[in-house]
Amino acid sequence: MLSDFGVIFLFIITAIAFIAVALTIARLVRPHRPNVEKLTTYESGEDPLGNANVQFNGRFYVIALIFVLFEVELVFLFPWATVFGQASLIAQTDGLWGWFALAEMAIFVGILALGLVYAWAKGYLDWVRPQPKLPAVKSSVPADLYGKVNKKYAQKTKSV
Amino acid sequence: MFPQVAPSIPQVIQLIPLNNYLWLSTALFVIGIVGVLTRRNAIVVFMSIELMLNAVNLLLVAFSSYRSDPTGQVFVFFIMAVAAAEVAVGLAIIVMIYRNSRSIDIGFLNKLKF
Amino acid sequence: MLSIILLSIFGIVVLFLGFQKSKNILLPATLLCIAIAFAANFVHWNDAPGLYFKEMLFENRLTMSFSAIVLLSAFLVVALTRGFADDEAAQPAEYYAIILFSLVGAIMMIGFDNLIMLFLGVEILSVSMYVLTGSDKRNLRSNEAALKYFLMGAFATGIMLFGIALLYGATGSFNLTDIRGYVGTNSFSISTLLYVGLLLVLIGMLFKVSAAPFHFWTPDVYDGAPTVFTAFMSTIVKTAGFAAIYRLLSGSFEGIYNFWWFTLAAITILTLVVGNITAVYQQSFKRMMAYSSISHAGYLLLSLTAMTAQTPDAIVFYSLAYSLATVSAFGVLMAVAREKSVQSHENAEDFEAFNGLGKRNPLLAFVLTVSMLSLAGIPLTAGFWGKFFIFGTIVERGNLIWMLIVAILMSAVGIYYYFKVIIATYMKDGETGALRVPPFYRIVLIVSTTLTLLFGLIPKLLS
Repeated sequence: MLSDFGVIFLFIITAIAFIAVALTIARLVRPHRPNVEKLTTYESGEDPLGNANVQFNGRFYVIALIFVLFEVELVFLFPWATVFGQASLIAQTDGLWGWFALAEMAIFVGILALGLVYAWAKGYLDWVRPQPKLPAVKSSVPADLYGKVNKKYAQKTKSV
Repeated sequence: MFPQVAPSIPQVIQLIPLNNYLWLSTALFVIGIVGVLTRRNAIVVFMSIELMLNAVNLLLVAFSSYRSDPTGQVFVFFIMAVAAAEVAVGLAIIVMIYRNSRSIDIGFLNKLKF
Repeated sequence: MLSIILLSIFGIVVLFLGFQKSKNILLPATLLCIAIAFAANFVHWNDAPGLYFKEMLFENRLTMSFSAIVLLSAFLVVALTRGFADDEAAQPAEYYAIILFSLVGAIMMIGFDNLIMLFLGVEILSVSMYVLTGSDKRNLRSNEAALKYFLMGAFATGIMLFGIALLYGATGSFNLTDIRGYVGTNSFSISTLLYVGLLLVLIGMLFKVSAAPFHFWTPDVYDGAPTVFTAFMSTIVKTAGFAAIYRLLSGSFEGIYNFWWFTLAAITILTLVVGNITAVYQQSFKRMMAYSSISHAGYLLLSLTAMTAQTPDAIVFYSLAYSLATVSAFGVLMAVAREKSVQSHENAEDFEAFNGLGKRNPLLAFVLTVSMLSLAGIPLTAGFWGKFFIFGTIVERGNLIWMLIVAILMSAVGIYYYFKVIIATYMKDGETGALRVPPFYRIVLIVSTTLTLLFGLIPKLLS
């Protein structure tokens, strides 16, 4: 009689043996005619371009960090959920328990939400931060003159 | 071959003697310590520390299940949450260093010597 | 326990105050928050000791005194951050919020009654400190300090957690009272897991308070961190750490004193010797202060090793004296180094920075002298009584007189390097020209110096 882990062990052995046998037979039977096209990296028909080891945009990193933090905090919802609906506790407190537990979780999630609001307000959630680059050209025309001209003509077109 | 009634999770865990869990997590913990002390790459050191924390988690869950006392598992939740916060801060520090020095080898860090 | 809740809420409030245009409101707001928390700390002063939050936290007069020391030093250090908001790129609101959050962690460490709270407190305090250490983002020294502190701190946390897991395995509980009960009832058949667990937890905690041989990160981190946060680290983290170790040992493990006293005694002697001897060879004032903080950890450990009825009072008084003196020493360093770093970036924090300070600014020189005397333990300062009470606990224990001899020899070594600073201040010639000190600095320094002298003259004031 095998224990449960014994069964798993048997499965693992079978899986390894199956793959080994299949690959060996394929190797023996198949023709062996390599060419350049066949040996390139498979990228769904595209020609592979550049190094695979590229650096990702730094934005991924900030968003990933925020995601990890909020994701992991959710683990506290599980132990809470086990006591939230407990009939004995609800009966003992005349139904007050549910409200109490709900309020506690609301506080917890509220604090997390404040953190999210902070990250949002600081602009960490924007994928591309709008940072218009003003061309630095030395010109004898003062910068605000353009604005004035624009305003003037905007008013004119409006009035027309 | 298969048991008729599905056993509960604590029963499955208790199929293996407690000492085995203790040895397994001690081994993981020691691998983590050796990693921290010998590796030069900050990220790998960091991963070794995470390995230590997970060894602790395993041990806590095993003890908790053997004693049928849920407190140990609650502690595991706290360790996981705190470890995530630590990861966030630690990676931020490593990225900051990479931006300034283009390297994360801890041998490079020798500005502070007397 | 009110102070924990208040500080958490204040932290969030300060964080959001940062969205305001004017950054000038942040410092007064933070100071006000700490002051309110300080007042709230004493709400239960006259009540019986109590357990809060389902036996998670414990509060009596001792924990309240420790919290008061932590909050007082935090107040003084935060007041020294004036001028911190001038930098455009800096995010002062975040730093102030992190400081407030870290105080929550410190108070949790001081009053824990459950090992979960110990772990959470240690982590809240440490993670905040990692961030603050690296707050000088473009300075490679600060970066390096942050990474070292982070890796070592996380490593220590891992060790401590393994210890906690083993304690749980042996006793089946995280509660200090239950563990005490287990040690008391099974005194002849205590599981090996408990001994190993206790040792690992102690190692983790000793890492955090930088006792030798777990001290090697301290000088680098203290040196690289911005000076304000070095002051914060060396006062608050240390006080909270020792309060936590005391609470752990006295709360649960007094029954097996015979097991741990020798380990602790060996570490104490090593800490005293390494800290004091290495401090002699330092050229940088900040590194000297780092080693001196290691040696002070040694004196505090001395009292823990004795573990008599007087130990808590001695630790409270010593931490207070040490915190006050350290804050004023770092305050003077910041005032001097700021002036100096404008002229040249080299060696702004060496002993030479103090040359001729006696002529340039008599007030700063006096403050520095008092703080050095207090750290060295010269009579008429608080530091003297601190050492006196610590040594008193050892005498009371009786069989540890040999440790007392080592400690006294080592404090004689300490006098040498503290006086090196005083000599540089008064005897050596340096730059001339008066040194201007912002009024805020002056108030903080006068307050801490006055308190040092006051407790030096009337040590009974505290009890």
